[in-house]
This record gives sequence, structure tokens and C-alpha cells, in this order.
Amino acid sequence: MSTVRHHVVIGSGVAGNQAAETLRQQDPASRVTMITTSRLPFFNRYDLPRVFRGERDWRNFIIYPADYYRKNRIALRRATKVVAVDSANRTLSLEHKETIAYDTMLVASGAGAYLPEELSEFRPLMHGFGGFKDAIRVADALPEGGHAILLGGDTIGLDLARTLLDTGHRVTLVAGPHTFWPHEVAPEARPGFIAALERMGIAVIEAANRGGIAGIAQGAQGLSPRSLTFRDGSELHGDVVMPFFGITPSLDFMLGSGADIERGLLVNPELRTTNEAIWAAGDVCQIWTASARRYTFYHGWKNVRAMGELAARNIVGAGEAWVPIQDESLILTPDGRVHSPFWEYQ
Amino acid sequence: MSTDIQFAIIGSAGDGTIAAGDILRRAMAEIGYRVISFDLYPAEIRGFGKCIARLRVTSEQAYSLKPKSDVLVSLDDSHAIPHAGEAREWGAVVYESGSVSALAEGSHMSAHIDPGQIPYPLRIRELSEKSTGSARSRNIVVLGYLAGLFDLPLEPFLKALNSKFKGKADIAAKNEAGLRAGHGEGRAAFRLDDIRFAPPPAQGNGAKVEMISGNAAVVRGALDAGIANFFGYPITPATSIMERLAAEMPKHGTRLLQTEDEIAAISATVGAGFAGARSATATSGPGLALMAEMLGMAVIAEVPSVVFVSQRGGPSTGMPTKTEQSDLNMAVYGGHGDAPRIVLAPTNVEGCYRVAGKAFEIAEAYQTPVIVLLDLYLSNRYETVPFPAKPPFDPDKSRYADTRGGPAGFQRFALTADHISPRSVPGQFGGMHVATGLEHNELGRPNDQPEMHTAMSRKRHEKLKAALNHPDFTVTKRFGDEGKVDVGIISWGSTFGECLEAMIAARSEGIRCAAMKVCMIWPFPVEAVSAFMEDCGQVLVPELNYQGQFAGILQSHIPRPVARLAQVPGAPMEVEDILCEIRRLAAPSGAGADKQAV
Ligand SMILES: Cc1cc2nc3c(=O)[nH]c(=O)nc-3n(C[C@H](O)[C@H](O)[C@H](O)COP(=O)(O)OP(=O)(O)OC[C@H]3O[C@@H](n4cnc5c(N)ncnc54)[C@H](O)[C@@H]3O)c2cc1C
Repeated sequence: MSTVRHHVVIGSGVAGNQAAETLRQQDPASRVTMITTSRLPFFNRYDLPRVFRGERDWRNFIIYPADYYRKNRIALRRATKVVAVDSANRTLSLEHKETIAYDTMLVASGAGAYLPEELSEFRPLMHGFGGFKDAIRVADALPEGGHAILLGGDTIGLDLARTLLDTGHRVTLVAGPHTFWPHEVAPEARPGFIAALERMGIAVIEAANRGGIAGIAQGAQGLSPRSLTFRDGSELHGDVVMPFFGITPSLDFMLGSGADIERGLLVNPELRTTNEAIWAAGDVCQIWTASARRYTFYHGWKNVRAMGELAARNIVGAGEAWVPIQDESLILTPDGRVHSPFWEYQ
Repeated sequence: MSTDIQFAIIGSAGDGTIAAGDILRRAMAEIGYRVISFDLYPAEIRGFGKCIARLRVTSEQAYSLKPKSDVLVSLDDSHAIPHAGEAREWGAVVYESGSVSALAEGSHMSAHIDPGQIPYPLRIRELSEKSTGSARSRNIVVLGYLAGLFDLPLEPFLKALNSKFKGKADIAAKNEAGLRAGHGEGRAAFRLDDIRFAPPPAQGNGAKVEMISGNAAVVRGALDAGIANFFGYPITPATSIMERLAAEMPKHGTRLLQTEDEIAAISATVGAGFAGARSATATSGPGLALMAEMLGMAVIAEVPSVVFVSQRGGPSTGMPTKTEQSDLNMAVYGGHGDAPRIVLAPTNVEGCYRVAGKAFEIAEAYQTPVIVLLDLYLSNRYETVPFPAKPPFDPDKSRYADTRGGPAGFQRFALTADHISPRSVPGQFGGMHVATGLEHNELGRPNDQPEMHTAMSRKRHEKLKAALNHPDFTVTKRFGDEGKVDVGIISWGSTFGECLEAMIAARSEGIRCAAMKVCMIWPFPVEAVSAFMEDCGQVLVPELNYQGQFAGILQSHIPRPVARLAQVPGAPMEVEDILCEIRRLAAPSGAGADKQAV
């Protein structure tokens, strides 16, 4: 039997990549395999708004050249979906029926955009912004000076709004209860932040004031491509409609694995799941916070990267506990603009 | 912007790999691109194993395949995985995303795609089953996918498909459904590769561009030159010459006979040539060996006859499905006695057409057997060829004697100033009706006197020299830099394409480089080759045989060091190997020919 340990990382986002690199450094003799549904190597998703500035070559978004993976001996398996994990046998199954054995597994499968149930039937009429393909498709659909309707908000949507305004587009935000997600904004502070958004040039409509969203339709010939109807009968016309309602962890494949799940994969402060050979990091996991006596999600790329690194170090025996490294408060700048620490990724 | 895109489709015998390559190259040629393609089959004898269809699609005719493909398609991962590295950086890898059975770790294509390559997973089997009711059209689904992915018009694919399944409407309809299913997927797929097709070049000058294999071009040349008889015995890789002629010759009212063996085939060919009819046979190395004695007969009886020889790996049964250029010595020297003959070697498919047609003219003009050396790579490779509106071949212009005065004075083997004697055909009043293998005098009567044997030997050797100036025949041709060069490449036959590509690459690296192809190997064009070598600091001779047979012939005429690049991989030479040699020879350290000189 081979004595070389096989570390399998699921996900090639910030958490997965940081973990793979750390595993390679900490356990040089091991095999490291990173599995991802993505067809692209690790790319800078925070930079995606650049597609509206005309940047269309995905190679200008990737973080590591192809050689990085070769040199670090990280077997990168792209366009590959994990569908099940058999923790008793320490194997995982891929969608194309291949079975991979692991000694340790790190789940860093992140999260997908959350879409409220009542809007799901309108999914084909909306543009997502989760990956490079989505970004190109929406950039293609939005004409110069065109009108983008952002539903919900969240820091990803608001970050995009900043670029869209900067590139000469019109932006209307149909705001909801979680407009500043993942930041918690007290009800009394909310009007101030909304006003700041308006000062930045975003037209804000409080969905609640119009009874909520009733539906989205394809615009009739000669009209804008999309029309949004509110329950009060009023309408809003735009070129694209983009939902930003926060995220929901991607962990279907972990059901039945034996690792406990609440909304995310539950991990102890060392980022180990309830299965001894499985760890988790990034958007997919909720970490036990003793002080609050609950499992907590931590967001932002700095936190996520730190989680990836910590999980990898603990896999090889460091035994260190998680300490969040990022301030999560939303601020109003002295010149009256909204600023999220999650936007500081340069 | 110009187009230069190479596809490699890899599967198992039975996956329709070669058929997919065939339809793809036909569609590309129909769109207006130039194509060069070469397929690899498993050894026919076993009938299973790996198949690879490779085709390079370009705006201008390319000379060889590229070492890396832009698009790699796997129809069978077990065969394609060892070739995964063949797709270039940022190139596309298309593969089956599903699987019907459980797979062991690492046995799926996705495990072998390099971080620099772009994965294109496709539900090939499912699409085939849904659209056609069976998994058999997986190859066609992939073609549709490629058409959709690269925004190519579907019509040429449909045309190629329908011509492939002509007379089988049901199969054609099913495959059309598969093609369309794949096409839809291709159009919907998100492109991440950097592969771009430029519009095809405009076609001019009235030439009709056709997609054709080397052997098919030989057949076309022979037919356009008015071949009257063909005698042959099947042997890989020459068989398809006979097969095609068998289909075509009856339409022209001409005759083909499959003989019992190669000895009968060459005998009948020489016999028909003696009777004044344009005749040929085709074989491979083992068959040529059997023909050696009868070729000597044609030499001494001065009978025009044409032998097409498609070389394969030898000796003996050797490697019947692998290419090689190792029958050169046998073609030039093979046989007993001093038996000079003319040996021609086309370097590409267009050359196969021209050389095949010209071979008949040359055989008649110099009253001699002519061997046309092909090889498996050239015979089986496809290229787009611009065919001239009118065949560029002369009818029989043999110097027939006027023998109406009766038999008394007719000297069939008259010693003339140009060493070529008047001919007659059997049945011609006053002519000569018998040809023997005996040495003879001018009247054709047996004569073994030393003076006569010397005179006749001289005649048979000297007369061939004029062939070096045969009208409209390219004996040698120089490409690349003019004047003095650092490295000059001299090569022959199918390998010359790789030499040209290597030369082009070397020039782009700043090396002064030129290449000369030699299409008439015997008589050896000493003057032209010497003049070229005068210009070359170093001379490189790449060829696919172990001994460096061509280099040996060259050096027997021009005693100067040359660097031999002699390989026997059973496959076309790698452009990179030639390029490495050019770089080495061009290096100022002078690690040149002297070290390798033979
Ligand atoms: C457009 C956009 C902009 C953002 N901007 C910011 C920002 O400005 N600042 C900030 O702090 N945060 C931002 N975020 C959030 C931030 O990206 C996430 O917190 C972070 O990327 C999470 O990293 P991760 O590694 O946990 O997961 P992800 O980056 O989501 O990666 C998950 C990986 O798992 C793979 N995967 C999922 N399921 C499977 C499966 N079944 N099998 C195999 N692989 C699987 C996916 O292919 C992917 O590679 C943004 C997010 C988006 C979508």
C-alpha cells in the first residue's frame, strides 16, 4: 500500500487554492488533488466587473499561470463535479462515475447565488454574476449606457453597481431586507446607507413600498428587453435584471457523507467537520463560535483565504483554532459614500 | 488573420474516428480551407486498437502536420489519454462527460487535461442516443459540436455526411440528426479557447481545389496521362491505387488485371509497355523485391514501364502499417547487373498527381522503367490539391521507327548521339517482335562481345541523363533564403513537408536557412545539388530510414560532409527534431556536420 497521503480539495476558489498551496508546502511528499466544477483555473472573481471596461480575455483574470499547478504538483481537475462522498471508505464519486480515494478531504465548495423561491420561475430572464461566463453574458446583454436593474443588493451587487455607474450605465437597485448582506445594518442606520447609495448615483426603489416584486417579463418589441412589475402595478424597464440576494452553500454532494450540516457544513474551530477525515473552509462552512454558542458563517475573501490556510495546516496536524481576521462592519465614508471592507481586495 | 488549426480525433477502431476525420476534412475543404491530414490506424490484421485522425486546416496549403493540435477530441479515453499532452496550451480538449460504467481513478480524460488546456466536456453518448436512437453516431455528434463551437457553416458537413452515406438514406438521416444535436450543443457552449477561424481564402486562377489522398492523386495522374493497362497484386499501403483504378479504368475503356503475384504484375506491365501501351503496376517494398529481376529485363530491353512503390517499414513483412523511406536503395540499385532506371519521388499529394502522370512520359522518352517512390505517409495522407483545368501531360511521343521498308535494316537498339533508339511495337511490319533478356547488338540479336556489352551498358546509362532536363518536370527545387545560408536542408519524398515547416520555423528564429527537394533521385541531379550545397554552411539530410540512404547516394556523387538525420519511428518525422538539428548546425560553436559527418 502506498504511504503517500492523498489530500483531496473540493473547490478551486480562494479557500481551495490557499489550502492546496499550504498542503503542498506543509506535506511535500503528499499527493494534492483539487477538484472543481469550474472549467477555468483559479481566477479573480472580484475583478469580474472589469468585463464592463472591455476586458474579455479570461486569461487576464486568472491568478496563477498553468505552470503554477505543474510546479506545485497540484493535480487540478476542472469541469469535474463531486456528487457523493463515502466517508466510511474514504472515497468520493464524480459525476462521470469515477471514484477517487482520499486520505483527507477538504471541502471548499463555496456557495452559489441564493434566489428567493418566488423569483425562481423568472430565472431564465435574469443574469447571474457568479462566474466568468455569467459576467461575459451580462456584459454582452447590457448596451453602452444601458440600464441594469439589480434586485436585492448584497455587497457583490453593490460592488458591481459601482463599476456600472463608473462605466456610464444606469443602475436601479430594487432594495430588500438584505440589501447590505452579509453586513448586518440596524434598521435605524439603513436610511442613511440608502441615501448614500443614491448619492453615488444608484436609483433605489424599496421593493416593500411597492408591495414586492410581482414578476419579470421579456420586453415587447421596441421596448427595453426586460420589464419588472411590482405588486402595486407599477413597472420598471431595463436591459438586464440581476439578482443579488446573498449566497447559499454548495454542499448537495455532502448529504449522506456523515458530516453534519445545518445551512453550511458544520466545523469545529479547527475547521474539522464531524467526520475525522473531512475538513471545510470558505463560504461552505459554519464555524462553531463558543462565545455565541452557535455556528457562524464568515465572509470576505480575507477570512476565506485564512480558513483555507488554517484547514490545511490542521490537516497536517497544527491543531490551531480559527480567529476571524476581517472586520465585517459596513461604513459611511466622510464624503458620504458606502464602503464595505469586503471590497478591499486589491 | 489567417487560419491554422489542427484537429486530432482519437478513438478505438469501431468508434468512427477515421470516418469523423474524413467528414471533417471534406467539410473544411468544401468551406474553402486548405487541408492536410494523415490518419493512424491499428495494424489492419487485428482490426481493433487505436485510431487517430489528424487534420490541419489552413488558409494557405501547409506542408506537414503540426506537432501539437489545437483541438483534441477523445472518442475513447483509454486511447486518447496517452495523447492528452498533444493539445496545445489554450487549445480545446473535447471528451465524453458521462460514462456508462464505473471508472477507476485516473481513467477519465478529465484527469489528464493540463491546467493550460481548455476542457470541453460533452454528453456525447447521450446526445447520440437521444437524437438517433443509438450510440453509434457519437463521432457525428462530435463533428456537429465542433461546427457549432467554432461557428462553422453546417451545410458543408451535411454535404460530406450525405456523400459518405450515399445510397443509405436511413443512416444518413440518423447521422444528420446526430450532427444537428451536436451542433446545438456547440453553439450553446461557452468558448474559452483562443481558436479562431478566419474566412476562407478566395479561390482564383480557375484551378479546382479537391481533397484527395496521395494514392488517389497517383490514380488521377495515371488516368489523366492515359494509362491503358494496370497489373497489380494487393499490398499495404499501395492497394488503394489498384482499388481506385479498378473502379475508374472500365469507365475509360481501359484494362486492369489483378495478377497472381508481383512477378506476374511486373511481367505483364513490361509486356504491355513493349506493346506500346502506357502501363503501370503498384506495390510496396516486398513486392518491389520480387519485381527486381523483371525490372532488369525492362532495362535491357529498353521497355517503358512505370512502377509505383509505396514504402512501409521493413525489411521483410516488417511494419506494414507504418511509414518509412527505406526502399530507396532498392529502387535505385536493386537488381542484378548494371540496371539503371529512373527513380522519381513526389513530396506531397499534388506532387503525386504530377509525378504519376509525368512518369509515363519519362518512361517513354527514355525507354526505361521508372519507379515512383511513395510511402505510407504520402499514400494515405489527404491534401487539398488545385487541379489544373487541363491535364499537364503529353501523349506518347516515343520515337517510333518507320519500318515500312521491311525488317532488313531496323536497328531497335541503334547507338545514337543521344543514346535513344527508335522503337517499334510488336506487329509493326518490319519492326522487332521479340525482346529478350540477353545482351544484344543494335539489331537486338544476342551478342556478348566486350565492345558491344560496353557500348550497350554506356547507352543504357547515358540516355537517362537527359531526363534531368525533361520538360515541365521539377527535378529539384529550392525554398527559403536566397544566396548563402547557414544551414541547407536536402530531402526527398514525404519527409520534405516536415523539412519545409522546420525551415520556416528556423528562419523565423533568425537562422539563414534554405531547403531543397529532390524529386528525381536517379539519375542524381549532381549539378543542381552541388550548386545548392555551395551556398550552405552546413547541410542537413533528414529521411526516414536507418542508414541515411539518400545521404549515401548524395555523398557518392558529392563527397562533402553532411549531417544525417536518419530515423525509423514508423511515423512522420517530427518538425521539432529537424528544427533542433538546424539549430545545432547553425550554432556558432560549429557543432556542425563534421561531428555527424558520414
Ligand atoms: C461575483 C462575485 C464577487 C465577489 N466579490 C467579493 C468581494 O469583493 N469581496 C469579498 O470579500 N468577497 C466577494 N465575493 C465573495 C467571495 O468570492 C467568496 O466569499 C469567496 O470566493 C468564497 O470562496 P470559496 O473558496 O469558499 O468558494 P468559491 O470561490 O465559491 O469556490 C467554490 C469552488 O467549489 C467548486 N465546487 C462547488 N461544488 C462543487 C462540486 N460538487 N464538485 C466540485 N467542485 C465544486 C466550484 O467550482 C468552485 O471552484 C464575491 C463573490 C462573487 C460571486
